Amino acid sequence: MIIATATLWAVALGLVMYAWQLGDGSLVHGIEGGWGIMRRTILLLIIAFLIVGFVNVLSLQDLVQKWIGPQSGWQGLILGEGIGMLLPGGPYVVFPLIASLYQAGAGLGPAVALITSWAVLGSVSVTFELPFMGWRFTAVRWGLGLLAPLLTGLLALLLFR
Amino acid sequence: MVWASVISGGKTMVVVIPLLIAAFLIAGLVQSLITNDLATRWLGSSSGWCGIAITCMAGGPYVYYPIAAVLLHAGAGLGVMVAFITAKNLWSLSRLPLEIALLGTHLTFVRVIVTLFLPPLLGILAEALFGKQVESIRKAMVV
Repeated sequence: MIIATATLWAVALGLVMYAWQLGDGSLVHGIEGGWGIMRRTILLLIIAFLIVGFVNVLSLQDLVQKWIGPQSGWQGLILGEGIGMLLPGGPYVVFPLIASLYQAGAGLGPAVALITSWAVLGSVSVTFELPFMGWRFTAVRWGLGLLAPLLTGLLALLLFR
Repeated sequence: MVWASVISGGKTMVVVIPLLIAAFLIAGLVQSLITNDLATRWLGSSSGWCGIAITCMAGGPYVYYPIAAVLLHAGAGLGVMVAFITAKNLWSLSRLPLEIALLGTHLTFVRVIVTLFLPPLLGILAEALFGKQVESIRKAMVV
């Protein structure tokens, strides 16, 4: 965690230096942009961390392991796909939630299915896709995408047991 | 019970906050650098495909969906565009550090490896099943 935080800060500072030496207002603009993203996500983030807290305290390990644990088979993959589709918001909100489920004992296959489902079928991608690409394109890609979480989850189970 | 959850969630959040602030800063700066610097050069078309490639690699959905819409409208095939959007949905340079930080290297590594085949597979399926209807798919676009 410390290494990850340090790495992210190194990247962030590198970008700050780069934007600063451009001297064209990119730096101020970028910081404002980051602040804007934070303001838009903060409420969802707080809700996400409340859920994380509940998962920790209620000791949902048994429940998580029963439904999407390493031994949950197809049921775990299908549930992972379903949960992933319904997860609201961007990576800042979704990754902490998935992390808490994974720590509570979710299996590798279901976890992979969940992340894939959120990325390919989730509300964020679809809300951008509909206005830009039209409903026919969205229907084709989303419909075929329904296969993706199950296939990747299965592959993860087969390759990285 | 509720308080214990709030405290537990709060503790997790405090640990993650420094990381999140860096992630927000990176997202904001990448967005700003791309719109100011790269995108103008790309729109000025002096940098050509290189600019498009960099913009596509680093940009979020607000960058790649408009590009995809323009390409599909201009005559790109259905399979290619399904593969492109699936790839962008799955892999994002700006999301990767956050994913490694919160989910760990193992889960992130497995997830990236097992999704490698997806964009070509979905693209080929889309082309084979719906490639002939690409005109009506284009007509359904609002652009």
